[in-house]
Amino acid sequence: MPIEVRDLVHVYHPGTPLQTKALDGVSFEAEKGKWVAIVGHTGSGKSTLAQHLNGLLIATEGTVKVDGLSVAAGDRTLRQVRQKVGLVFQYPEQQLFEETVFKEVSFGPRNWGFTPSEIEESVEKSLSIVGIGRELYDANPFRLSGGQKRRVAIASVLASGPDYLVLDEPTAGLDAQGRENFLALLTELRSIGKGVIHITHDMDLALGFADIVLVLDSGRSVLTGPPSLILGELLEREISGLVIPDLVRFAGRLRDIGLEVPLSWDPFIIADAVGRSFKR
Amino acid sequence: MKFLNNMTLGQYVPVDSPVHAMDPRCKILATLFCLIGVFMVREPLGFALWCIFFAAVVSAAKIPVRLVLSTIRPVWILVAFTSVIHLFFTQGTPVFAWGMIRITHEGIIMAVRMGLRLMLLVMFAGMLTLTTSPTELADGLESLFSPFKRFGFPAHEMAMMMTIALRFIPTLLNETDRIMKAQIARGAELERGGPLRRLRAFVPVLVPLFVIVFQRADDLATAMEARNYTGGEGRTRMNPLEWSPRDSAALIFSLLFAIAAIALDGRFFTL
Repeated sequence: MPIEVRDLVHVYHPGTPLQTKALDGVSFEAEKGKWVAIVGHTGSGKSTLAQHLNGLLIATEGTVKVDGLSVAAGDRTLRQVRQKVGLVFQYPEQQLFEETVFKEVSFGPRNWGFTPSEIEESVEKSLSIVGIGRELYDANPFRLSGGQKRRVAIASVLASGPDYLVLDEPTAGLDAQGRENFLALLTELRSIGKGVIHITHDMDLALGFADIVLVLDSGRSVLTGPPSLILGELLEREISGLVIPDLVRFAGRLRDIGLEVPLSWDPFIIADAVGRSFKR
Repeated sequence: MKFLNNMTLGQYVPVDSPVHAMDPRCKILATLFCLIGVFMVREPLGFALWCIFFAAVVSAAKIPVRLVLSTIRPVWILVAFTSVIHLFFTQGTPVFAWGMIRITHEGIIMAVRMGLRLMLLVMFAGMLTLTTSPTELADGLESLFSPFKRFGFPAHEMAMMMTIALRFIPTLLNETDRIMKAQIARGAELERGGPLRRLRAFVPVLVPLFVIVFQRADDLATAMEARNYTGGEGRTRMNPLEWSPRDSAALIFSLLFAIAAIALDGRFFTL
């Protein structure tokens, strides 16, 4: 059973002068083994949405359900939901606090009451997924490089064995190589059956990797669907603060001047189509 | 769940009023006179005079009464405790006795006196922060303490530290909120168990927070150095403090009022 969000509304500071509506009727679904990208500019409500998925924020109106469990006030189910849905905050390396990498990653499993052998198993498994070798198990996490720190932080969320992983701008501050590696890691997580919910402002990333893209603008979902289906509308509608990838605009322009080119974000598809229409 | 949103910090209320427009040095000194004056009165007339003066200041400053009263909130336990102690443990003529408990005539007077005095003190000090922005306050203190520079007192550095500290409170509250949420997402239970367990549960929040604080301090120091900050020597201001004749008048008036209140206090009617 998937994550289901229905007509979600969230109001910050209700009843005070600071009252703001951060989310206004957002609905979407996320499944295991699928990659959902939530795209929007700064202040569009995407981080607020992320925090609803594991009960750090509770909906003002509307419902959030994770595998049938409703995310609302009530301690027991909230903890169950938090174990099912791992949340990786922006700059997750800032949450590190333990003396060794092993202890750091075992923090989650210890909190969820895993047995010692389960702890060891889950720590080893999650560290191997993110590519941290045994030689670093006893290293001080604060002495690692930036990229390694981030991978340890992600492993520390994976170690609790979540079915879904919500990541808030996980590639922020990484260099090109680090970004590549990171996206490969997310692809792998999807292939082993985790639901990936990727929050980003980068349309390129969303179109290139996600199965479903959800575009937020001022707390409303303005566009939802698989990348290939939303491209046309993306070109036609001006969505504030959202940069449409150059390649998509390029393909759109080619169509305007009469070439038979599919709308795509993939340079090879566009190039092949252009080639074909010239040969004809 | 926003965990830390009920803190009213930097309670400055920016409205356009004669009190807001006063020089911060004048306000600091006048507040000082009022605090001393409130401390020195004992009788109903003295307190009445101070209450009237306070009400006049509040209405001139255009601050909502609700906000003024809320300045007592952090110390009301202290006020209540002090009054109750005086109520029960003052020797004198008993007006009420029940078993061990004896309430005396003197006790009631002392309780009211101490309660009123503490509340007035806190509210006067509160009016200073309600009508003066933290930056103005720091500038005013720096200027007032600058005569002590010749004895090696670091007036400018103290004011700078105060400004930076105030500036970073909201930032650090946000960071704390974020880290708390990150650790809760990893299964931390911050609000369960006895005090010791809660304290230990906070280690995963405190360690990252310390790291962030040190990083920020380091970044800020680099940024200040990059802008050639060398301390107070030869530094000019964007908004220099300007002492107007009205400030002199207000200061002299509050000084005279304090002297008058103390002098008249026991003259006509004593308890």
